[in-house]
Parts: sequence; C-alpha cells; structure tokens
Amino acid sequence: MSRTTEAALLVAAALLAAVGVAITEFTRGNWLDAQVAITFIVFLVSFGGFYAAVRIWAPGASSLLLPTAAFLAAIGFVEIYRIDGDLAAIQRWSLIVAGAVGAGTLWLLRRSGVAILNRYRYVLLAIGVALLLLPLLPETWPIQGATVNGSRLWVRIEVPVLDRVLSFQPGEIAKVLITIFLASYLAERADAMATVDRRIGPLKVPEPRNLGPILVAAAIAFLILIYQRDLGASLLLFALFVTMLYMATARSFYVVTGAVLAIGGGVAAYLSFGHVARRIEAWIDPFAVYEDAGYQTVQGLFAMGSGSLTGSGIGLGRPDLIPAAATDFIFAAVAEELGLAGSIAVLAAYALFVAAGFGIALRSKDRFRKYLAGGLTAVIALQALIILAGVLRLFPITGLTLPFMSYGGSSLVANAIIVALLLRVSHEERT
Amino acid sequence: MPVLFLNIIKLLFIVLLFLFLWQVARSIRSHVGTNPGARQEGTGAELVLLTGSEETRRVRVRHQGHVVGRSPDADIHIDDPYASEFHARVGLQDERVIVHDLGSTNGTYVNGRRVTNPTSASRGDTVQIGKTILEVR
Repeated sequence: MSRTTEAALLVAAALLAAVGVAITEFTRGNWLDAQVAITFIVFLVSFGGFYAAVRIWAPGASSLLLPTAAFLAAIGFVEIYRIDGDLAAIQRWSLIVAGAVGAGTLWLLRRSGVAILNRYRYVLLAIGVALLLLPLLPETWPIQGATVNGSRLWVRIEVPVLDRVLSFQPGEIAKVLITIFLASYLAERADAMATVDRRIGPLKVPEPRNLGPILVAAAIAFLILIYQRDLGASLLLFALFVTMLYMATARSFYVVTGAVLAIGGGVAAYLSFGHVARRIEAWIDPFAVYEDAGYQTVQGLFAMGSGSLTGSGIGLGRPDLIPAAATDFIFAAVAEELGLAGSIAVLAAYALFVAAGFGIALRSKDRFRKYLAGGLTAVIALQALIILAGVLRLFPITGLTLPFMSYGGSSLVANAIIVALLLRVSHEERT
Repeated sequence: MPVLFLNIIKLLFIVLLFLFLWQVARSIRSHVGTNPGARQEGTGAELVLLTGSEETRRVRVRHQGHVVGRSPDADIHIDDPYASEFHARVGLQDERVIVHDLGSTNGTYVNGRRVTNPTSASRGDTVQIGKTILEVR
C-alpha cells in the first residue's frame, strides 16, 4: 500500500467517525450538527499529524498500522459519543494528545532509532517500575495515588495554573517500557535460556537457574494483584512475559510453566482475596449474582444478544445500561448497535493490526528489534484478547481497556507510543 | 418509512466498515512474511548462515558449488562441533540449488528431513548441517 492510499484511508476513517456521529445525532432528531464537523477535524488533526511525522521521520515504515488504528479509534469514538457526549469531548482531546505523542516519539528517535532504547534498558526498566508504583503514593501528596472502582491504578496531579486535576494511569506507559526492557534482556539471554539438556516426558527442561526470570515475573504480577487489586494489569504483564519468552526461545516449557504458575496464582488469589473471588463467581454463574457482581457481565450479554446479526443501528440501542460501556465494555456496545457484522469488523481489524505487527517483527534485522516489535504487538493482542474474552464471558472480567477503542487518555497515549515504535522498527528494516 | 431509512443507513455503515478493512487487507499480503526475495536483484540464490535466529553470514551460491564443513579448508567453514570436516556440498544445477551430503557423521537435513542423495532446495528452504542452519534465499 502506498503512502497515498494510507492517507486516503486515514481520511476515510475520519469520515467513518463523522458519519457515525451524524447518525447518532439523526436518531436524536437533529440534522447535521456542529459535532460532526468537529469530530472529522479532530480525527484529521490527530492522525494527520501522526501521518506527517511518519512521512518525515520514518518514510520506510509500514503503511498498514495507522489506518487500522484509526479505524478502531473511529468505531470506538462513535460508541463513546453515543453513550456519553461529555466523555467524547474529553476523548477528542486525548486523540489529539495521542497523535502528538506518537509523532513526538518518532521525532525523538529520528536519529538514534530504536537502538538507543536497547542501550538504556535499565533506565527504562527503572522508570517503568517507578510508574507502576506511583499509584501507591499517599492521597495527601501533591502527586497522589487514587483508588477508582476498587483498583489503585490512578495518579492525580493538581495543576494550580489551570486549576484542574489531571489524572492518568501510569501503568499504561509502564507496560510499554517493560516490553522494551524485556526485548533487550531477551535479545542477550535467549540463547542461554533456550539451552536444554534434560527432559521430563515430552517436555525439554532448561537449567533450573534459567527459571529465575519467570519466577520474578510471576512475583511482580502477584504483587500488582495484591497491592493495586488490578487483575487485568497483573495478567497482562505476566502473559506478555511468557509470550516474549516463548517468542525468544521457542521452548514450550516456558509456556507450560507460565500456565501452571498462572493457574496456581489464580487459585491462590481466588481463595485469599474477596475481590478476585467475586469476579470468578460472577464469571461462573453471573445470573446467580445478577443483582451484584454479575450485573455488568449480564447486561453485556443482554446487549450483545439483542444486537443479533446487524445490530440495532447506531443510536438506537441502549448500551448506556451497561456499566463501564465506554471503557471496558465498549465491545458489548458495538455488538449491540452494529451487531455480529460490526463486531466481526472490529475483530478483523485487530487481526490485521497483529498480522502487520508480527510481519514487522519477522522482517526486522536483529533480535532486539524482532522481540521489540513482537512484544509490542503482543501487548495489543493480549490486551484485546483478555478484555474481549471477559466481555464474552469466556474468562473472568479483568478491567482492561480495549486498545484504540475504549475511552481513556492514558491508554490512547500508550497505544500511540506502541504504534510509533512499531513504525520506527519497520522503517529501520530497510536501512 | 423512517424505520426503513434507519435500517438502510445502518447497513450502509456496516458496508463502509468492511470496505475499509478490505482496502487494508488487500495490501497485507506483501507486508506479512519475510519475503526475502524482494531485496535482491536477479535470480542468483544466496545461502544465509543463521546462528540462533540471527543472520551471521551470506554467500552467493556459485555453479561449481561450495563445500561446507568444520575443516578450515572447506569453502564455507563453520565452527560447529556437530559438523563433519567436509560435511556437504551446496551447488547449482540448472539454476536450482542442490544439496549433496558428503557422507557426514550426523547427516544433512533439508527442511528437517535427512537427505542422502543430492536434493534440490528452493528459496526459503533450510539446510541443517550439524547444529548450523543455512537458509536458501
């Protein structure tokens, strides 16, 4: 695909968002509203800026990622707008900021490339861990941690000049930094970790000391679960680690060990933490606890069920009845209003994004870049899988955002950085 | 009438979604996969030495062929304790790459299958000698 087609598709995505907003307003009895034009311009500014940065600082990059991301952002935005206009107004600013951050990332790496990330991996790891710990700050400090919906993931900063409180989830950025660290670490250690000299049954077993890193990862994931009460982030980080380990070593031993640790940790968490037990009970039989923990899941199921093949049409369903419809459960809102057809379009877009990402990883020229591109793609893929499985009740609800689609500035910004890094790796493959 | 109209817009919107994805998907074939042939001109096949998954050396296959082995006198010397001194010959015949095992101890494998007779290998195939992997590109 040429850069011109890419630009045309970005404009098309902006049009999709604008048309969706127009349809929503139409179902409310308004003909062309100013919101339609504003939405179109916001998408053009956000993705146009990112696109311009790609043309200047990464002209050799793949042209598949940006249109796919814009497509998902457009569908997500339409649903957010339809559910809550105020959230949509904030999301528009987030989109612009995310576009600028993506362009800024490309600018920062314009000379050094991603190689510089490899060099400063321990600095990046330290920043990542600090960001993970940031929400644990006491609530009286100027930079304060905050508990929202029982999870301690938020940080608030009071900005006296604007007389406003900025809040964000530092964990979103931390996951990108940790992926960079893992890619760099594994590029150096994978050979040793892939060395096997023993067998237990059909499974090749590496030396015991190579088990260290996977145990550390399990411990970190468990600590996040205990102190921040965040099932989603905990699971995502651990799954990411196991995926990258498998990517680097091609040893199924690590996957099996990871699964055993995850299931063991899950059972232990179920037995000892009320919040995990509630989630799992709501998963096994949500209708039994419909009034309580199962309410969200059940509302989501009703919404998706009522969507049928082509959905109710934008603006004609009742996704506002689902708790967290604009964030975690946005997929249920899409399934209700665009039906199975629209949901499949969303899933196909994720599949295309992931295929393009792994394509970049396969073609990149050294191990660090391979694992970096593969890991970043895996972050998007795993995050989408975990939350989609939760919404579809294939898995307990974990509370993650759906990449590119959900309402949430931190998530959009983190995903923009991921896209920028993938584009940069794909640009460097030719040099 | 408005219901019909709303249904039509609904379906049109979904059609637009799929048209968009179709445009993206059309071009993904060329983006996915390693597509090694695209980077070089001509039809000359190359042998790429891989250590782990990383490329360490690249040799253009010549007509008279190369002997691959552990001996310093081999055309392509590989530092691999599992390879024989003169392990296998890789040459060209009618523009095709031919792999010929020279009676090695541990055998020569094309795409994981042990070969004893001269065997042709095409682009993307792997030739394993000892623990070393050579990819034909």
